[in-house]
Amino acid sequence: MANGSACRSLSAVGSFIGQTESYTCQANRRSSLAFAFHSKNLQAVSSGRYSEANAATLLPSLNSSFNGISSIALHATQRPCTPASQARQRGGAVTASASRKVLLVNTHAGGHAVIGFWLAKQLQEDGHKVTFFIAGDESSDKNKKEPFTKLEELRSAGVKVVWGSPAKVGGAVEGSFDTVIDNNGKDLESVQPVAEWALSNGASQFLFVSSAGIYKNTEEPPHVEGDPVKADAGHVQVEKYLNEAGFSSGAAFFRPQYITGKYNNKDCEEWFFDRIARDRAVPIPGSGMQITNITPVTDLAAILAAAVNQPEKAAGQVFNLVGDRGVTFDGLVRLAAKAAGKDPKEVKIVHYDPKKADVDVKKAFPFRNVHFYAEPRAAKKLLGVTPQAQLLDVLTARYQDYVASGRNKKDLKDKLALDDKILKSVK
Amino acid sequence: MAASSLQARFACSRAAFAAPGSARQSSSRTFCAPIAAYSAPALQCRLQKTVAAGSYAGLRKAGVLDAQEKHASLAQQVSNAAPRASSRRSAGVTMSASGEPKKILMMGGTRFIGLYLARLLVKAGHEVTLFTRGKTAVTSQLPGESDADYKEYESKVKHIKGDRSDPELVKSLLEGKGFEVVYDINGREASDAEPILDAIPELDQYIFCSSAGVYLKSDLMPHFESDAGDPKSRHKGKLDTESLLEKRGVKWTSVRPVYIYGPLNYNPVEEWFFQRLKAGRPIPVPGSGMQITQLGHVKDLAEAFVAVLGNPKAIGQVYNISGAKYVTFDGIARACAKAGGFPEPEIVHFNAKDFDFGKKKPFPLRDQHFFTSIEKAEADLGWTPKFDLVGGLKDSYDLDFGRGTQRKEADFSTDDMILEKVGKKKH
Repeated sequence: MANGSACRSLSAVGSFIGQTESYTCQANRRSSLAFAFHSKNLQAVSSGRYSEANAATLLPSLNSSFNGISSIALHATQRPCTPASQARQRGGAVTASASRKVLLVNTHAGGHAVIGFWLAKQLQEDGHKVTFFIAGDESSDKNKKEPFTKLEELRSAGVKVVWGSPAKVGGAVEGSFDTVIDNNGKDLESVQPVAEWALSNGASQFLFVSSAGIYKNTEEPPHVEGDPVKADAGHVQVEKYLNEAGFSSGAAFFRPQYITGKYNNKDCEEWFFDRIARDRAVPIPGSGMQITNITPVTDLAAILAAAVNQPEKAAGQVFNLVGDRGVTFDGLVRLAAKAAGKDPKEVKIVHYDPKKADVDVKKAFPFRNVHFYAEPRAAKKLLGVTPQAQLLDVLTARYQDYVASGRNKKDLKDKLALDDKILKSVK
Repeated sequence: MAASSLQARFACSRAAFAAPGSARQSSSRTFCAPIAAYSAPALQCRLQKTVAAGSYAGLRKAGVLDAQEKHASLAQQVSNAAPRASSRRSAGVTMSASGEPKKILMMGGTRFIGLYLARLLVKAGHEVTLFTRGKTAVTSQLPGESDADYKEYESKVKHIKGDRSDPELVKSLLEGKGFEVVYDINGREASDAEPILDAIPELDQYIFCSSAGVYLKSDLMPHFESDAGDPKSRHKGKLDTESLLEKRGVKWTSVRPVYIYGPLNYNPVEEWFFQRLKAGRPIPVPGSGMQITQLGHVKDLAEAFVAVLGNPKAIGQVYNISGAKYVTFDGIARACAKAGGFPEPEIVHFNAKDFDFGKKKPFPLRDQHFFTSIEKAEADLGWTPKFDLVGGLKDSYDLDFGRGTQRKEADFSTDDMILEKVGKKKH
């Protein structure tokens, strides 16, 4: 799925209730007619609007396929993902004159590392000339972890790969660049040198991968571009600085949350797989209704690529770098179960109060124990990008990777000690 | 059993807002306008130039898209002062997309939504006939409505008295009257719509007030129009009606509101909270209080209903209509307090399973996540909600509850059961 190649054929399983959706445009997937019905007949419904080359087709949305109609819909409406449609999603095919020289400064570790990998690939496929600058040493052990073990994929696509210190970018690369992307720094100290060099080197556009963690907690989700942020956060200082730095095609800021996908450097769904693969109960803090964004990395790369392809639309803008569906913690357990080929109803969820269980929830659970929920409204409206990936598909592929690497058989003894403490406390 | 499998093939094209011929100015205004939905009073005024230290909220450098952004203060927006080229508005009046006056039949129109909608339509120059049993006065002056405006409305709006549950009567009353457009505000079952369709075979548009209650509960949120409906929902009749309209080949549009609020609301949404706040009582909230829902102001809903009239994009389409931001249950309690000038309330969480409330409802909202994306309506209709949550609740409070009017007498019996169980002092 990571490459998003084939369109899927869908089958409705069991007797299901679904909506048909006629697609006339990927970007307006949900803008075209969608219609609910409850009989077993799928009604062919034409949208009556907006016909581009290929006309409407129909798609059922899938409910849980285990026992006919489940009470919870686990699967959002399928969205096709042809490479052509994806390319158009990113703001149009790139002509030679529109091809940009892109320098992508990438972190050597952590959750964001994988974004740069897929973005570099995407941009190169779009016709740009990409240099993938890894902020670190070529000899470092960090290169033994994905995605840095897969750099040949980038090179064979035509991406130039170099290592170096962001403080001395100029020394490590040759020539000038049109677009510089910083997917590394978290504060002024780390980003300013890159930005200053980029300016002096003649770059017109600067993209900064920031963080959705800077949004202030709210009782009115989701986090939307323009919502108040924590003023003292390092990323906020960087955004402010870049906004005023004077790039002729502007600076733009991208705020991601949790990321999943092939070659991920940091664990995300593995916490869930660890428990589901071993048929263990999954302890979830609080009500399990907390909503968060777990976004397939290819959708994030698509937003960033669209910004490179449409600098005038991206200039000065903030973009939440997330998909357009949030998922509840309990929902994530159910999706992970499905991804692992198990019946979600068979996986036991145990809710607990971290205080009563006397555990540090930050150690016991991988995600922030609040609603941490954003929407990509700016990306959709300004760049015309609509998320393509289906979380279940990506998690399914990730579970296959999980098993292939042998992680399902690994001894996790101490990792599960906190689980045991929690499970004991709720008895 | 299983429906046939369907191949999903997809043609992508540029987003609708970039489509030539569309009202580009209006579209881009809508798209570029950030969502002004702050609940904190201090942030109500979102002026482009505000980049004061500590208040940076992703505001961008002035320039590129400024012409299209309108950061009107909430007060301005609410008072409808500034005419916007985009929305075919003049002096706060919205014309239909086609601009021609229509002969409109409204089923209902004397209780809540229709009160506001009928006024907008009459003001826009349409001939509006309300079809009701006559149990409620056909017209009465709205709180905040000037005598002049009311007299004007009263003199122009027409009425047909009848019981729509009598199909033969409905047909006989509507046949040959020349109605061009139907707003079906109070239809519940498909059988409610049938006689109208029989009586008026050549309709320009049948605009139906459906409900977001049709959506099947889901782990992946928000609900988009293409999401599955729930055949077991008590709003199934709405789905059936949408089916019928499509089957009959009518030019139809369906609007799915979430929770509607505003002055004269007969559903105990905001009133329920105001009653407790006024009585100085704690607010009982089921579960964690983290359930996320969505409130939409009735005046914004009325504007949306007008925006679909004569809009070719809207034919055959379903639109979620509600507020720009979602809100947690705890958040509603606090927002109501802010709106009514009450001190921050004490919120008491309870487990509904611990009680037998009989037929009484301990809380007015469904105990689940329940919210929708309104981006389709924003994209297609050039509509966007004007009220943010606290501002909208204040409008309701100032014009209704705060003046001493309410629909239902306060009943704190379930509150007292809860408070006693959790060991709080009885009031």
